[in-house]
Amino acid sequence: MDILGHLWMGLQVATTPYNLLVGVAGIILGIIVGVLPGLGGANGCAILIPVTFVMPPTAAVILLSSLYWGALYGGAITSILFNIPGEPWAVAVIFDGYPMAKKGKGGQALCASFFAHFVGGLFGAVLLTFFAPVVAEFSLRFGPPETFSVMVLTFSALVGLGGKSPIKTLVATCLGFAMASVGIDIVSGQLRFTYGTTFLMGGFNFIVAVIGLFGLGEIFLTVEEGLKMEGVKAKLTLKDIAEVLRAMRKYWKTVVMGAIVGVWMGFKPGGATPASFMAYGFAKAGSAEQDQFGKGHIAGVLAPEAAAHGAGTSALLPMITLGIPGSPTAAVILGGLMIWGLQPGPMLFHDKPDFVWGLIASTWTGLFIGLAVVLAFAPAFAAVLRAPFAILMPIIVFVCAMGAYAVNNRMIDVWYMIIFGIIGYAFKKLEYSMAPMLLALVLGDMAEQTFRQSLIMSQGSLWIFLKPPIALPLMIAGAVIGCWPMITLVRDRIRKGKEAAAKS
Amino acid sequence: MRKADIVTAAILLGVGLLVGFDCVRLGVGWGMEGPRAGFWPFLMAAGMVVGSVIILVQAVQRKGLSKSNKPFIPREAIKPVLKCAIPAAAMVVLTEYTGLYIAAGLYLAVYMRWIGRHSWVTVLSLSIAIPLISYFVFDKFFLIPMPEGSLKGFLGF
Repeated sequence: MDILGHLWMGLQVATTPYNLLVGVAGIILGIIVGVLPGLGGANGCAILIPVTFVMPPTAAVILLSSLYWGALYGGAITSILFNIPGEPWAVAVIFDGYPMAKKGKGGQALCASFFAHFVGGLFGAVLLTFFAPVVAEFSLRFGPPETFSVMVLTFSALVGLGGKSPIKTLVATCLGFAMASVGIDIVSGQLRFTYGTTFLMGGFNFIVAVIGLFGLGEIFLTVEEGLKMEGVKAKLTLKDIAEVLRAMRKYWKTVVMGAIVGVWMGFKPGGATPASFMAYGFAKAGSAEQDQFGKGHIAGVLAPEAAAHGAGTSALLPMITLGIPGSPTAAVILGGLMIWGLQPGPMLFHDKPDFVWGLIASTWTGLFIGLAVVLAFAPAFAAVLRAPFAILMPIIVFVCAMGAYAVNNRMIDVWYMIIFGIIGYAFKKLEYSMAPMLLALVLGDMAEQTFRQSLIMSQGSLWIFLKPPIALPLMIAGAVIGCWPMITLVRDRIRKGKEAAAKS
Repeated sequence: MRKADIVTAAILLGVGLLVGFDCVRLGVGWGMEGPRAGFWPFLMAAGMVVGSVIILVQAVQRKGLSKSNKPFIPREAIKPVLKCAIPAAAMVVLTEYTGLYIAAGLYLAVYMRWIGRHSWVTVLSLSIAIPLISYFVFDKFFLIPMPEGSLKGFLGF
């Protein structure tokens, strides 16, 4: 088969000693980054991007994607042992993971989470391998209006399904797009939004934004909560592994359900966190032992974890096929692609097959390496968090500053990082969602270009965005999803009105 | 929380207006090159203005609800947050003069001693070792230069 042949070629790329080494390094760094508060997959990748300048693109993408897999694994360790989610999608696992750890079954909970991650990742990898080429082939037919409507769908999904406050998400998204357009407009050559200053001419770099919003902002929050790292100690033994494998056989349906929910939710933007909650909800609803959930039921660990990793993996699918990332981390990797001089999108499959298939194959190798590393060293990674916070915190800030500076070698970027940190802190507290803002900052240029090109194609008519057969359904879907909060609001009002009428 | 919500929305409204006005200068209509440079950002600015006005109105109307009385930052948390933010900003200021590594070393030392109250041995060894290791990893191995600061040129080495 064609796909298997490509995969085989990719595996050969991914398993060269250098790439394998890079992959292992990425996973170990990823787990550390996932465990530490204030650092996550997204800003871990952002900080590493300058380092990748010295690597060939394939090795670079393997490093970043491995870091991503590692961070997915690492987030669970903090959740289970410390009752603190290292990552947003690791919140759902706390419900049962932490009680398990408190009962002395921490090893089992960790093990269950790792194996569930593995299964979720496996589903994601299968999807990526067999589905990505198809999507890429299909999206070759996309012109500017179609690409733009995919973006509309993406952002309306974030507005409609994402945050608690759709309007705040909308404002944050617009802010992201506005920030993306600061600097020189490449079409007209005009300076935009610089207000006569020189430092605004270079625009805002999204990597700096990631480091500030997700790094410093998170640290401020952690400090505010006066975090004390009092974790449960856990050891991983072979007995735990055996027991978990037995439990997995018993609850295999739950695991598979979690993985499928994850994969399904994952290739929509912002999907990993809702996917993990959904999977947890489904597992609980479908279980005969509902009262055990929340008290340390192993299925309550298996389902959200499989979903989280499945979603994380499949978030790469729209990134490599359409050039539209499904998660903040995927957005950073996408930004990396652009910096390495690669044009993300379907043409990659034709122009750089070794790159694309190397990346896809590395999701497979990353799964096995990741599982082996976490099973062997989970307690060691947890020990990182036991280091005193007053030592960890300044080191994290220092590393963030290095990352922010190294992107463009500009001192102003370090200041931007601090400002973005404050913005991130305020936005997090006031429930403005940051993922759409970041995505807007990354995709800003592309969105504007495709928008302008489409309008030039149609000589100013907006109808071009409603052109069948591809753009029209995408736009309709985008409109429905984007207005979903309003639809439910109206529905609730009508229902309430009826109830009130029935009462009186 | 309500106050912070209002202030943030007002700032966002201001940013939206600022962007919007510059768009008008750039031209929001149709030009030689198709949609002019201000066209797309103008849509975004409009989104920001409309959205933040709605947030403002909602926040103002929410007066008296119990949830909105929760402070933005709990009183006892203001200190630790400032203790975290001010040294970080100070490090950046210092970096302009001494370069990142020296600034970071001082920052690490001050934070570990002042906040963490760790022993001088830990403080000194870590705050010297970490910038030194980073120097070799980034400047020497990966050839990524870090800010050197103006003092270096001033002292002439």
